[in-house]
Amino acid sequence: MSALLEKIRGGDRKSLARAMSLVERASSEAREVKEALRLSTGNVPWWGFTGPPGVGKSTLIDTLISRIRSDGQRVGVIAVDPTSSLTNGALLGDRVRMMRHSTDLDVFIRSLATHRCEGGLSDATIHCARLLEVAGYDPIVIETVGVGQNEVDVSTIADICAVILAPGFGDDIQLLKAGLLEIADLVVVNKCDLPDANRLLQAIHAELALSSLSDEDTGEAKEVHANAPSHRVDVLGIEAISEKGVEALLGKLREQDAIARLPDRRQQHNRRRLLGEMRRSAATALERALGEGLSAPLATELINRVERGELPLDEAVVQLVSDGLSALNTDRRQRTTAG
Amino acid sequence: MSPAKPARVLVGKVGLDGHDRGAKFIVKALRNAGYDVIYTGIRRTPEQIVRTAIDEDIDVIGLSLLSGAHKELFARVAELLEKEGVKDVILVAGGTIPDQDIDHLKSLGFRRVFTPGTPFAEIAAALDEELAILNPAGSGAARRSP
Repeated sequence: MSALLEKIRGGDRKSLARAMSLVERASSEAREVKEALRLSTGNVPWWGFTGPPGVGKSTLIDTLISRIRSDGQRVGVIAVDPTSSLTNGALLGDRVRMMRHSTDLDVFIRSLATHRCEGGLSDATIHCARLLEVAGYDPIVIETVGVGQNEVDVSTIADICAVILAPGFGDDIQLLKAGLLEIADLVVVNKCDLPDANRLLQAIHAELALSSLSDEDTGEAKEVHANAPSHRVDVLGIEAISEKGVEALLGKLREQDAIARLPDRRQQHNRRRLLGEMRRSAATALERALGEGLSAPLATELINRVERGELPLDEAVVQLVSDGLSALNTDRRQRTTAG
Repeated sequence: MSPAKPARVLVGKVGLDGHDRGAKFIVKALRNAGYDVIYTGIRRTPEQIVRTAIDEDIDVIGLSLLSGAHKELFARVAELLEKEGVKDVILVAGGTIPDQDIDHLKSLGFRRVFTPGTPFAEIAAALDEELAILNPAGSGAARRSP
């Protein structure tokens, strides 16, 4: 297995591309690669970009790639787009905005489908980002799907979270709601040429001022922030397509990148990433076990009993989950004997 | 757990040709058929197509063209794939391609050529067949059914 990682470390592009497909699968070979990756990475900060669909995330990343390249750094990008819950297919369209970098061998862009993973990322994202790290890309940029109000998984794996917004998505009450702004290290308002951009910028400043007031009031530090507790969220207005404000944004990203490289920060980030990974994997495993269980006779029997009023729903849930857990255990025992 | 890798299809437009309605129709139909589809957008170079196919670990490359430059541009893509040592990618073409050019494109390595009016079901069946030929054991890439 280390042979594959050695090839990738040595610059073999096809091996890198293949390995990214491998970690999308659930084979025993994939499991070994993922384990090896986990142990041999964690030194490079990951930059996460999230925000609603159509705010210009891919266009902004395209512009940032050019700037980063002109500083001589090799940049790796993971761009996630949604899988259809109806057909299981996906259009991975982020790359369209970044095609001019396709022939630059010091840029590696990979498109991933969510494959039913909720939260704005795909299960393979973390492994693909680690593969980019092994291949020597630095920085590593992760673009989430276009998110709604509360798909904040990127905050569990990225070292820096940039939330990208654009005018036209609602008023200051939207900003008061729980969700995206809570995970932001940077808030970026794109399309600042549009008329309502200043109002949005003001509303964001007002909302962030409210947050820090209420934090002082309750005496709670914001544990969710990467650089807590002395963390100040920067707010920037940009126009990605004409590159206005992008240099300033890169400056802010680099400041936070430097902080994220400090040894104690690395340890903190890597532990948080591991926790996020464990939680998501556990949820996926249980969901799969339950998904298989739901079609099984046990589920039918439980539904019948709940329907007749013989069993409370809560009780049925407990039985279903314990059934799912024992299926997971059987699966593991089979793997251990096979391996 | 499905043993198959979700099949990744690249739909590409090369050269000075902005007519992308056909390509977008195919993109959407493939998406609905359960493929992971990567669309390159219009006016790409053969070099961009081939590099994208390698980095994205693509299983099927579909090139679409209306302008009439398919002989030159499609040949260049095939040539670059060969040069890069990419062997296990299924190359197909679509668009307003005259009947007399189809054999020529096939000699360049295009496994299938779909001309206007081809029902999508025929394209999906052809791709299933080609993917099965590439991986007879069934362990390779396949589209995900709903």
